[in-house]
Amino acid sequence: MTQLALVIDLNVCVGCHACVTSCKEWNTSGTAGFLSDYNPYDKDPTGTFFNRVQTFEVGEYPNTQTVHFPKSCLHCEEPPCVPVCPTGASYKREEDGIVLVDYDKCIGCKYCSWACPYGAREIDENQKVMKKCTLCVDRIYDETLPEAERKPACVLACPTSARLFGDVNDPDSMVSEQIRDNGGYQLMPEWGTKPANHYLPRRKTNITIHRDELTRVDNPLNKERKLPMPGDDEQTLDDVMSW
Amino acid sequence: MSKIEYTSLEGKSPAYFGLLGGLALIMLLALASVFYMEHEGHHVTGMTNQIVWGMPHVFAIFLIVAASGALNVASIASVFRKKIYEPMARLSALLAVALLAGGLVVLLLDLGRPDRLIIAMTYYNFKSIFAWNIILYTGFFGFVGAYLWTMMDHNVYRFKPYAGFFAFIWRLILTTGTGSIFGFLVARSAYDAALMAPMFIIMSFSFGLAIFLLVLMASYRWTNMELGDVVVNRLRNLLGVFVASVLYFTTVYHLTNLYATQHHGVEKFLLLEGGVFTNIFWVGEILIGGIIPLILIYAPGVKNSRNTLGLICTMIIIGGMSKIYTILIAGQAYPMELFPGYEVSSSFYDGVVNGYTPSLPEILLGLGGVAMTLFIVAFALKVLRFLPVSLADSVADPHSAK
Repeated sequence: MTQLALVIDLNVCVGCHACVTSCKEWNTSGTAGFLSDYNPYDKDPTGTFFNRVQTFEVGEYPNTQTVHFPKSCLHCEEPPCVPVCPTGASYKREEDGIVLVDYDKCIGCKYCSWACPYGAREIDENQKVMKKCTLCVDRIYDETLPEAERKPACVLACPTSARLFGDVNDPDSMVSEQIRDNGGYQLMPEWGTKPANHYLPRRKTNITIHRDELTRVDNPLNKERKLPMPGDDEQTLDDVMSW
Repeated sequence: MSKIEYTSLEGKSPAYFGLLGGLALIMLLALASVFYMEHEGHHVTGMTNQIVWGMPHVFAIFLIVAASGALNVASIASVFRKKIYEPMARLSALLAVALLAGGLVVLLLDLGRPDRLIIAMTYYNFKSIFAWNIILYTGFFGFVGAYLWTMMDHNVYRFKPYAGFFAFIWRLILTTGTGSIFGFLVARSAYDAALMAPMFIIMSFSFGLAIFLLVLMASYRWTNMELGDVVVNRLRNLLGVFVASVLYFTTVYHLTNLYATQHHGVEKFLLLEGGVFTNIFWVGEILIGGIIPLILIYAPGVKNSRNTLGLICTMIIIGGMSKIYTILIAGQAYPMELFPGYEVSSSFYDGVVNGYTPSLPEILLGLGGVAMTLFIVAFALKVLRFLPVSLADSVADPHSAK
């Protein structure tokens, strides 16, 4: 079964929020209606976002590293938000594994928000239905777009190409290859929700260099050093030529 | 015990109409609040994307839980055949239905889209405990309605034990369902406990009986009918057992959590460092709703004092609301632990304790549900014969000397 998903490389994510804003821009302009915002420029703004970046520090000051962790719906293979929905408005598509909300069937009871362990669901304060990442389902199949653009908005916007999109169940796909090669992992796999989205961990490239590798065996200076050197009070060629 | 005679309220006094008018006014204010919240959107409430269920849910769940408990008196009479409770069975069932109606109205009007009730009634996802609750609530009306019918119509009186039995079983299932809304929640640290279902059942016993006692005493005081000490003290003692049981379940719940290191964070938040939530827990739930009522119930000096009993019941109701508030709001306020051990921050309230201040419209909506419950009871007492003419000791007590 096809399972479309995002693979996010935390090694190159710089936390610029381009994915957040591009997601908001695309999805607020869609046919399903805008993603409402209230007091966007005031002290306590609220609004509906499908994608948010969390930040945490690893290590103790001063030996710390900042990790930016973009998080949207993980399109779990066992999504806990689907069985709890009383009307079946939350559902997982057979054909591509995307978890969606039928806005016309949602009664706004918000119980799915309780059930999602990743906090990926949000209520649209204006439409009063639950919303979440759709993996830009309205553009990835849009044949009027050039094929290269049939990807989620966040993937196209990421300046460091930290976001990859594809079928994680296809072993030959680029995303599967990345997961395999770079130790891709799921967020909180212990929940048994089998999130489809994967993260590639922060990784430093360390190589061990031995001291002898820093010594050049055929260093030409070695030959020069063997020539007789002038004494400290004698003129050298440098003194003669320093005009 | 002689045959019980029932009566209806005369319901012509200015006080009666004043009561109905006052309740209707609160309901109108609640309705206005609903229109305001509907029109302006979710953001005018205190609820956010972190605290998704707020004050209306506290009222709704309290009323629904109490509804099942209000049926206690009738169940003890029909299922456990205790004669002394028999005369009060009609009022008990009426109050149960009214409380459920009040709670459900609040729950419904607090939905994001109450206009889509028809969808909730026609599309069922049977894996959802929420969908099951819709069936359980509807069924409760049916079973308790049938039970009331068998109690009040002599033609079907012979079916009363069966109706009473099924209503009793159904109410246990109903409260199991309500408790399981939280018990089945694995995603948040404060829930995911099998204990939730039985704890909700015992909470229903306590809250329901407290409300029943208040309604009973008010009805008899305002109609100048006789209510004997035997009945009241029996209910008072029963209430003491229920209050103690709620305290017991609460203790076990927290002890279980404290045993698991995984839950230390949330327990520390609930019991020590949660600010307003911790205060509500210790002062509202434990002290006002548990320890003080328990002492007063068994204190020898105020044994037959109706005013004290009224105070006890009020305290249990305040404690009950506090308990639901703690379960519901504090559990949401505690952040979800996505990265245990790390300090998480974002521009979107991740990793921080979420604040909640109930807005006036939310509180008015909740009070509207209470008002509706009392309105239904007051109105039904006038149109049908629910109240025994007398509950004097000589009438109600099967052991009283004739």
